[in-house]
Amino acid sequence: MAQVNLQNVNKIYRSGRTEVHAVQDLNLEINNGEFVALLGPSGCGKTSTLRMIVGLEEISSGDINFNGKRVNELEPQHRNVAMAFETYALYPNFTIEENLAFPLEVRGVPEDERRRKARDIAEILKLTSILDQRPGALSGGQQQRVSLGRALIRDPSVFILDEVMSHIDAHLKFQMLFDLKAIHRDLGKTMVYVTHDQVEALALADRVAVMSNAKLQQVGTRNELYNAPANVFVADFIGEPPTNFFQAEVSDNGGGLALKTKDGALVFHLTEHRAGKIRALGGRDFIVGIRPQNLRLKDSEGKSSAHTGSDVHDITASILINEYLGERSILTFANGDTKFRALVPPETRAAPGEAVTLGYRPEDVMVFDAQTEALID
Amino acid sequence: MRGVSDMTATSSEISQTESGPKANSIDRDDPATFPDWFRARKARSNLIVARWVPIVLVGLPVLVLFGIVVYPTIWMFYHSVHDTNMMRLFQGNWSYIGFENFATVLGSDRFWDSTVHLLQYLSFGACLQVVLGTVLALILFELVKNNALRTLILILLVLPMMMSPSIVGVLWKFLLTPSNGAVNQALLNLGLISKHIEWFNSGISLWSIIVADIWNWTALPLLIVYSGRVSLPPAVYEAAKVDGASGWQVMRRITLPMLKEVIAIAFILRFTDAFKFVDLVYIMTSGGPAQSSELPTYIAFQRGIREFAIGEAAAYAIIIFAISAVIITLFLKYLKRVLKAQGIA
Ligand SMILES: Nc1ncnc2c1ncn2[C@@H]1O[C@H](COP(=O)(O)OP(=O)(O)OP(=O)(O)O)[C@@H](O)[C@H]1O
Ligand SMILES: [Mg+2]
Repeated sequence: MAQVNLQNVNKIYRSGRTEVHAVQDLNLEINNGEFVALLGPSGCGKTSTLRMIVGLEEISSGDINFNGKRVNELEPQHRNVAMAFETYALYPNFTIEENLAFPLEVRGVPEDERRRKARDIAEILKLTSILDQRPGALSGGQQQRVSLGRALIRDPSVFILDEVMSHIDAHLKFQMLFDLKAIHRDLGKTMVYVTHDQVEALALADRVAVMSNAKLQQVGTRNELYNAPANVFVADFIGEPPTNFFQAEVSDNGGGLALKTKDGALVFHLTEHRAGKIRALGGRDFIVGIRPQNLRLKDSEGKSSAHTGSDVHDITASILINEYLGERSILTFANGDTKFRALVPPETRAAPGEAVTLGYRPEDVMVFDAQTEALID
Repeated sequence: MRGVSDMTATSSEISQTESGPKANSIDRDDPATFPDWFRARKARSNLIVARWVPIVLVGLPVLVLFGIVVYPTIWMFYHSVHDTNMMRLFQGNWSYIGFENFATVLGSDRFWDSTVHLLQYLSFGACLQVVLGTVLALILFELVKNNALRTLILILLVLPMMMSPSIVGVLWKFLLTPSNGAVNQALLNLGLISKHIEWFNSGISLWSIIVADIWNWTALPLLIVYSGRVSLPPAVYEAAKVDGASGWQVMRRITLPMLKEVIAIAFILRFTDAFKFVDLVYIMTSGGPAQSSELPTYIAFQRGIREFAIGEAAAYAIIIFAISAVIITLFLKYLKRVLKAQGIA
């Protein structure tokens, strides 16, 4: 078991005259036994980070420590890290069973124990029926599970799993997320899980590290990311459907400080605490963010269906689109040129063109500096 | 022609049936049956050109192939059961003698001696070349990481292969000259031997040929295996590293098994060449002294081309062909099994 610590890690790929700065000043502390997900859009440097942790990629600058010991110069063989590759990287000349058991084979584990363990892991990953086949004959999702199994069969200090469920169908994925979580609970091993699917990340991880553009944006628990996103990117990336953003400026009209959208159509009231902060910052531009979940339709009596408490403010808008998604509906509104979305119960009857009132609570209004895009909390 | 227009553009088909009498001829307005480039040529002969060009284009190569492969092969089989020699051939009065030629060949010590030589050549020449080439290729790939240096070494190693066999033969004859050849001189200077080794004496001359051939041809399996190794997926090696495999484990369990078919191909190429191997024998020893370095192919050449015993030479050729066919078939079977196991074939 290990605690993994990345200090000011940089990765710069050089080929000829072009340079790609794939990872920039990354600082991350992964505790012993913790399940951390690395979440970010394609090309943000997730795999590069993992490859440096595993030792397959030279670290351009900075340090990686396992249990406080610097491992920068250590070969992958000696780091005792198990990795499931994004590209599977199965051994084409081995059967599935041999593939699964190879990490044990090179450690001199006797054959019958190897077989037993390979069968156990195949059971969990639903690979039992294809143990005698070779990787070339498998589907993408099957290969992916073999690659995951080859990592899980080991007893390493850290598990590194790179997008191990990208080719798994939704049904099986649900089961596998559960199994993986159970495996983590049983083994208590440090796990780093890379994905660009926030559902996986939020479902599995103790903490989620959000990356974008080679930089770490925020590390935190599900609630921290959701309620206090460090910047516009995190607020946008975490949550489905994405957060509504509005360009806004201060409007101080006697009744307390509020933020008004640039076209003047919507006004957002803030908590006392935030209003004070914004007053102190002065008359610059801001970005207001509010999650679709936090905008609630008000019924004819003016009551918001779910918002309790007294301090609920209203905005009005007309419905543009009503998307019915089974267990919920997404309404898209327009107010002037401003468009935004709200998540409503599926039974909501709302016809396009209809004007409605929406309620929100001031504490759900997130405010970002328009220049730095950082949260003002 | 009818068939062609049947399969092509139905619109022209319809217009043809409407215009009645033209229906059965080539439609000159239909580019599918009548390409534009015909039109540029003499208008009259178009039909003839359209019919005969394909036949000639396919027929000529078939004829040539027949002339240089099929006919001589039949000729060989025919004369292997006749008492043909040069004089009879010109007089046209050869006669059928059944399998007497084969009996002569198989009953002669000369043939069996040469077969032993062939086995020696296969195991210490061809096989050693593949083994040596494989080892060199893998060492080069694993140890030399600098690309420019790799290329340079490759070029140097491949140079012998680019020399014509006659030059290689003469070169090695010089090098191995007992009295003042470079090899003996070097060995003497190094103190490894105390007197000249007679490289072309009976019992040693075959080994001299084998050494020269190794020098000449090791680069071929080397190139084949090297290119095979280069094309193996790097991700697999990263996985093996992460899984904790040592360099030797990777070589034994991953690299060599994945190169199986490539190495088999190298074997096939060197073995097929072995059955045609005459040049160095002819130049370095002429099979001597006293037929002690003869290979079956060399005897066939000697009997047929120089002593005009055409029937017997044909029998030799057929026996060699049979042996090589058996060995190559075994290799191909193995190759097919390997490929099948990987789901490729
Ligand atoms: N070997 C390499 N040489 C040059 N550039 C590279 C190399 N590997 C990655 N990059 C670049 O580094 C950046 C980050 O790549 P990386 O593979 O880490 O992304 P990722 O976050 O894993 O993306 P994905 O979700 O698509 O797998 C990309 O811009 C990529 O083009
Ligand atoms: Mg990746």
